[in-house]
Amino acid sequence: MYNLELEKVIAKIKETNAKTVCVQLPDGMKPHANIVEETISKETGARVFIWLGSNFGACDVPLGLNRLHIDLLISWGHNKFQKEEGW
Amino acid sequence: METLFLEAPYDKNIKLCTETLNYIKNKKYTKVALYASVQFCNNLQKVEEQLKKIGITIISSKPKRTQCQKQLLGCDCYKDSLNLTEEVDCYFYIGDGRFHPLALVYSQKDTKKVKEVICDNPIAKTMSVLTLDDITRNLKRYKGSLIKFMSAKSIGIIITIKPGQEQYKPASKLEKMYIHKKFYYFIDNTLSFDQLENFPFIDMWINTACPRIGFDDHELFRKSVLNLHDALQADAILRKESFFK
Repeated sequence: MYNLELEKVIAKIKETNAKTVCVQLPDGMKPHANIVEETISKETGARVFIWLGSNFGACDVPLGLNRLHIDLLISWGHNKFQKEEGW
Repeated sequence: METLFLEAPYDKNIKLCTETLNYIKNKKYTKVALYASVQFCNNLQKVEEQLKKIGITIISSKPKRTQCQKQLLGCDCYKDSLNLTEEVDCYFYIGDGRFHPLALVYSQKDTKKVKEVICDNPIAKTMSVLTLDDITRNLKRYKGSLIKFMSAKSIGIIITIKPGQEQYKPASKLEKMYIHKKFYYFIDNTLSFDQLENFPFIDMWINTACPRIGFDDHELFRKSVLNLHDALQADAILRKESFFK
């Protein structure tokens, strides 16, 4: 019903040569994380980490993934957030 | 590290159900503001055709934190974030769930008359209507927070580090506006509600994270909570002709 757009995911991983990928899904899509993980692993060979935590919006991306040497974060259900004046 | 956002678009046809069309015709609306969540907002051609066919003028906007016209975020719960300049008869929302369209009701909280939000769910093919009644309970509590803020002396400002939140600078304006109040700044990522009670010297909280926390999650705060947007103009809000007066 909601399109996972896995072809875009595969293309992006190949384009960036990402070896480690973190996937972040909204709650409604979390039950399909296995499909996402298996497809990415099979098609690209990248190690896939599934973000366990929240996905409230594009403002809610996991922080600190660089410390785990994640090459690419793929976040479903939102588009880029236009930042306002902040810190 | 690069980030790829995927909108997960709804991949079936989006059109209004009969119930929605009949409702809007009976109401004799002529001008509506149309919004949708990101899964639906790029595929509204059929919906627009249906509305135009029954004589409805469609108005919309690109809310300030979104990427495209007609896209609505849950945090678009203030009129200024919607960027909607024209007056309309009602709001129209395409999508599932209540979280996003309730933002349109909250966005009218400081106005004299709250216009209804007609929601069409293309998945369930059902219609629902949201009105002031759906947020009255939360707004009653929120009014208490506004009043409390005027007299509170010791105030905790919650600043979160999620990208796009990070509202320290805007929050620090409060110190200049209210020189007799003492402000303490707290930093968190996802708000740890269970930690709030460890700071008993705080009279009330100012929320600078998602503004829906201030409206929808007030029961998770043991003390009053007010969104920064409203704290910056608390006095004016309480004087205005609206729910809060």
